[in-house]
Amino acid sequence: MAEEDAIFDPTLKKKKKKKKTTFDIDAALAAEGNADTDGAPTNAAESEPKEEDQDDGNVDIDLDFTKKKKKKKKPFNAEDLDAALNDSKEDGGGEGGNQEDGAADDNFDLDLLDFSKSKKKKKKKKDLDELMAETEEKAEDKENVDENSTLWVGSDRDYTYDELLNRAFEIMRDKNPDMAAGKKQKFVMRPPQVVKIGAKKTSFANFTEICKMLHRQPKHLLDFLLAELGTSGSVDGNSQLIIKGRFQQKQIENVLRRYIKEYVTCHTCRSPDTILQKDTRLFFLQCETCGSRCSVASIKSGFQAVTSKRAAIRAKTA
Amino acid sequence: MSIQNLNTFDPFADASKGADDDVQDGLVHIRIQQRNGRKTLTTVQGLSSEYDLKKIVRACKKEFACNGTVIDHPEYGEVLQLQGDQRENICQWLTKAGLAKPDQLKVHGF
Ligand SMILES: [Zn+2]
Repeated sequence: MAEEDAIFDPTLKKKKKKKKTTFDIDAALAAEGNADTDGAPTNAAESEPKEEDQDDGNVDIDLDFTKKKKKKKKPFNAEDLDAALNDSKEDGGGEGGNQEDGAADDNFDLDLLDFSKSKKKKKKKKDLDELMAETEEKAEDKENVDENSTLWVGSDRDYTYDELLNRAFEIMRDKNPDMAAGKKQKFVMRPPQVVKIGAKKTSFANFTEICKMLHRQPKHLLDFLLAELGTSGSVDGNSQLIIKGRFQQKQIENVLRRYIKEYVTCHTCRSPDTILQKDTRLFFLQCETCGSRCSVASIKSGFQAVTSKRAAIRAKTA
Repeated sequence: MSIQNLNTFDPFADASKGADDDVQDGLVHIRIQQRNGRKTLTTVQGLSSEYDLKKIVRACKKEFACNGTVIDHPEYGEVLQLQGDQRENICQWLTKAGLAKPDQLKVHGF
């Protein structure tokens, strides 16, 4: 067991390291203005630990049971990994993906070989170890490349693609120090404070404050909220919004998120630095960052079903 | 005396009065409304009038095990109304039945 651990541990570490390098690029790419990229890397990050867990499991299984189990599990891993890589590749853009591709290939080779030799138990183990060692070396190479991306400057040798890529990103980071940090945090929204008022009403306490943060007319947000929630409500004296019906903070947050997506962030560059103007019945979103201007959906409450007691309505109208 | 040909004709005159009829925007709006207590109601507005909504509601009621009805609204046309939060169900069902494409569905609510 100890031996196994000794063999497997470094690879695990290496794996992590390898991923880190790819992540940096992802992050840098994300900083280019993709606000949504946040989702994918975390996805990948979430699936990676799992994968490692599975690897650990495999080690145990290796000792306890027959090889067959391993055989079954491995392809799973490959799929998981591929899925994770694809995820991050999609968002990371071309360059970010390239390196990861390499990583995927390493693992894939390993899996393929795994398959072909799965019948010979002892030999396979050795081969596996060798392969692991190989991949480790590869990973190490990559590390070195990443760390000394400008090593080739003084030497005769040709630069590699990765080196150039890293150099480009380093320069970008140097020239715009706020780029990585500034855009990634995108929108730090304060969460809506939602409090129940009795059994039938909900208070959205910091409604006006959030309107100010979003630079939107309270009426506009109010219209949207009420239309989406299919209810009625109004702003009271303490500038809090009282909504009819019971709503949780999470639900209000969901609606707010949709509002921000449609009416606050630029549809082209996703910058929140925008102005909403009304122009001949239509609302236009003018971006202060990229200058794009596009119309946004008008707020309509649409069909409203009768939810109050019909008898009460009849009594009122009659 | 006015000469007909010299009268200015505004081709957009009729467009300015009513662009807010929801039936024409091609979207199927799926909304949720709270009733008393924890009860909710799902409405589906904007399904093409070519479809027989009565048949649809019958199928939905059976499929989702809920009650439902069709309401003929003067402005929004025929609207499907189902008891409970059937937003997920109705989205899947409409796409599966080929009555609406996923990008036509607009889900509102929390
Ligand atoms: Zn923009």
